[in-house]
Amino acid sequence: MHVPDGVFPLWLQILMYIVSGIMLFVSVKMINKKFDDKLVPYMGVLAAVIFAAQLVNFPVPPSSGHLVGSTMLAVMLGPWGGMLIIAMVLFVQALSGDGGILTYGINFFNMGIFSCFVGWALSLVLFKGLKKFTDEKKAVLVAASVASYITVVLAAFVQGLELFTVTGFGYAALAAITIVHAFIGLGEAILTFVILLYFVRAKPQVISFLKESEVTEMAKVPFMPFAVQEYKE
Amino acid sequence: MDRKESLKYVLPLVVVIVMVTAIILFGLASSNPDGFEWSLFDFAGVGEPDGGFEGIWAFLGEGAIIEATTGVISIVAILLIGYGVFWLFSRKTE
Repeated sequence: MHVPDGVFPLWLQILMYIVSGIMLFVSVKMINKKFDDKLVPYMGVLAAVIFAAQLVNFPVPPSSGHLVGSTMLAVMLGPWGGMLIIAMVLFVQALSGDGGILTYGINFFNMGIFSCFVGWALSLVLFKGLKKFTDEKKAVLVAASVASYITVVLAAFVQGLELFTVTGFGYAALAAITIVHAFIGLGEAILTFVILLYFVRAKPQVISFLKESEVTEMAKVPFMPFAVQEYKE
Repeated sequence: MDRKESLKYVLPLVVVIVMVTAIILFGLASSNPDGFEWSLFDFAGVGEPDGGFEGIWAFLGEGAIIEATTGVISIVAILLIGYGVFWLFSRKTE
């Protein structure tokens, strides 16, 4: 999903840099309101785990895919914390030549802003529903996995819409990028489940949806149209 | 932070680094284009751009060992960046 330089028109890259800059500023403000210093080591570990997982592509013939991790991070830390970690990961990847420097804003929009917010909102709705039938740890695992699948497919569709600015990309290619990510998304869901399972067992305090959470405050999103953010009912 | 707690921080990272290094060294990662590249360059037939920034490691050349080494260095770098940035946030928290 990492877009290299030289694909998109300059106006779209500048627009996405502006959007990304605003959202990064808001994220920093939101995190600064409430962040516990006990969680600092986990943030570094999470960033490193996501970066490492994105290094390895799994085969989805005729293409391949890798973990994005936005939904998982958003479920754990909330969308603000998730976006900040994705921003750092994409920055180091861009320096390493994976994803462009000029397209950083586009990549951050697709994998950071869009994926973190959509993944978080879908997970929250699913979690609320599943919690009525099972315990909250199982509910968060299933909700995050299903949401991560849907989010990857939706993010690919959005990326396809952005690609309409590129000459030669049409409706058939939009269908292709969406369908291929419908298979890549399965890998995302499995990896999300496995990694989240570790944290549910080892450190439930860093999962914002759970009762033991110590990150609920920094995970809150103001002005949401659906009032379902009271994780601890 | 006690020893057991420290192990919880370090263990997943060590496991991931070992797995990623092994996957890269043994050539187990897929070399197919990713979903975006396949759709745009192979399916839609859009020309692949060239001459862009190839990354700070480009001068080292290619190969599994170089890829694994630069991968581990980058993992450690992002670990330190993540730690540093969130440490600053924790100091600024109201």
